[in-house]
Amino acid sequence: MEKFEILEHVTDLKIKFFGKDKKELFLNAMIGMYEGARYQSQDGKIEREIKVSSQDLASLLVDFLSELLYLTEINQEVYQQIQFKKFNDPSTNSRSKERGSPLAAGQAKLEGILIGKKLQRMGILIKGVTYHNLEIQQKKEGVWEATVLFDI
Amino acid sequence: MLSKKDFKKVTDWLWEIPKSFRSDMRVPARAYVSEKMLEESFKDRSLEQLVNVATLPGIVNYSMAMPDMHEGYGFSIGGVAAMDAKEGVISPGGVGYDINCGMRLLKSDYQSKDIQPHLDKLATEIQKEVPSGLGRGRQIKLDIATLDKILEGGAKRLVEQGYGEKEDIENCEANGRLEQADPSVVSSHAKNRGRDQVGTLGSGNHFLEIQKVESIFDEKVAEAFGLFQNQVVIMIHTGSRGFGHQIATDYIRVMMGVMQKYGIQLPDRELAACPFNSPEGQRYFAAMSCGANYAWANRQMIAHSVRKAWKNILGKNASPLSVLYDVAHNLAKIEKYKFGGKEVEVVVHRKGATRAFPPGHPEIPERYREVGQPVLIPGSMGTASYILVGTEESKEAWYTTCHGAGRTMSRKAAMRAVSGQEVIKKLGEKGILIKCWSMRGIAEEAPIAYKNIDEVVEVVHQAGLAKKVVRLVPLAVIKGE
Repeated sequence: MEKFEILEHVTDLKIKFFGKDKKELFLNAMIGMYEGARYQSQDGKIEREIKVSSQDLASLLVDFLSELLYLTEINQEVYQQIQFKKFNDPSTNSRSKERGSPLAAGQAKLEGILIGKKLQRMGILIKGVTYHNLEIQQKKEGVWEATVLFDI
Repeated sequence: MLSKKDFKKVTDWLWEIPKSFRSDMRVPARAYVSEKMLEESFKDRSLEQLVNVATLPGIVNYSMAMPDMHEGYGFSIGGVAAMDAKEGVISPGGVGYDINCGMRLLKSDYQSKDIQPHLDKLATEIQKEVPSGLGRGRQIKLDIATLDKILEGGAKRLVEQGYGEKEDIENCEANGRLEQADPSVVSSHAKNRGRDQVGTLGSGNHFLEIQKVESIFDEKVAEAFGLFQNQVVIMIHTGSRGFGHQIATDYIRVMMGVMQKYGIQLPDRELAACPFNSPEGQRYFAAMSCGANYAWANRQMIAHSVRKAWKNILGKNASPLSVLYDVAHNLAKIEKYKFGGKEVEVVVHRKGATRAFPPGHPEIPERYREVGQPVLIPGSMGTASYILVGTEESKEAWYTTCHGAGRTMSRKAAMRAVSGQEVIKKLGEKGILIKCWSMRGIAEEAPIAYKNIDEVVEVVHQAGLAKKVVRLVPLAVIKGE
């Protein structure tokens, strides 16, 4: 299974991510975002803690990617792996589209350790991770998919 | 799906989708485009986004799109909407992630023949003096207290510290400072990102250009602006960098969480909004104002670096660079308008759209008040740019005009169509120098990826949104990566 696919978009960067489960979807979203914007790393190994909580699974993905961009810019790092300590998605119907219908704030959560390297250079600077037409869904064959539009 | 038959032709340059088109529309939607541009607009979803904006609570008169419109998220790029300041909403998606992305133009007293022999050295020196790198800031990190002063004071704060002249501030929209700025409502994430980015250009379509005045359309206004044939000018295009991006990210999240509380339902989550007169709306506006002030300070510091490079190459006695004007094209502003003797106060959202106040407007510098506000419209890399002037005719569009050419081709498609080397060669044949750290960056921003700026500006001119004053052509382009 491929990790992600860069889709055509006139102005921005649109990427579809895949994963056999939600954790892998989030991992591949991280990898796809960095690769899609051509972030290159140097040698060395860095570990950094990440904690994000959001009102639903779709927001959790946006907030997770936004937090990664923040950590990348502040620390000049790029991450390749994440060890999840906590991944809490309160949605009951996993096949439903995660659009609209926000749940109570703070219900979706993730915590983990990011493993990465020092940033060497980037190809594209991402200004923001948008909610535009954001969809997270599990396909019939069980694969999770998400499409995210990045403002660049 | 929208089609041409859904539009009513108002004039040759203005097309309207009536309110009856969709039940959730509160006002009609209007696009300032030629018929040809309208037909091309169906290729993306910008018109659907224009209709979506018409559903925002408190929107007054019309949802509008400028001729450089193209698909964005939430609002289209080139989108304009004014919300009633008492009853309406404010939407971070109507401002964009790059708060107060905008233009500044520096004028010289020199003609292109005077600068041509020094052009390469000058472009290299500017590239050296103005940090452009992706995500990388300056070497010096400001402490939070110093940053807070910049967030409150904008460009004025930097001028007070010796990074410019008093006239720089006078020739800046809002005098380079929105008074509603309140650093206490800005997250530590945003402040951390802002500490080392004052005076940095950024990447993508942000650029510096050394240009010359190629044609003059209106002698009287050109003279009032201090512009003359073959004059060398320098154009700066950048915004609030990671600081503004983080404010947008933070507050879109806030809005998303409170929309239900305020009973707001919208067709696109990226339109997330809340009442302007709510605690969350006021906090966003105060934070956005900090973003705006940061961007004005950023362009002020870049102008300072450009002036330094100018003197380094042309000598200490070289005639200095002065600011023609500095104007935002991603911002929400409180403005007052009179319709039929009745005054309305509105929050005008301009996302990829430029404010263009008419002659006599009290908010433009006295030296331009008789002719109107200078409007700075950049073309795509290596193509022409324009200086226009605001008109009274544009009142219905909240005195607004376009902000650039507008993309028509994805970066991937541009890369497939042309290489960076080819772009450099073609521009070189026209005598245009390019300084950029990345070949790929050059291909992605190639002129073929954009609408023709001459056509876009012609619509602006014909529709009366603003009037052409001069056309500028590039001599050298200095890009971020």
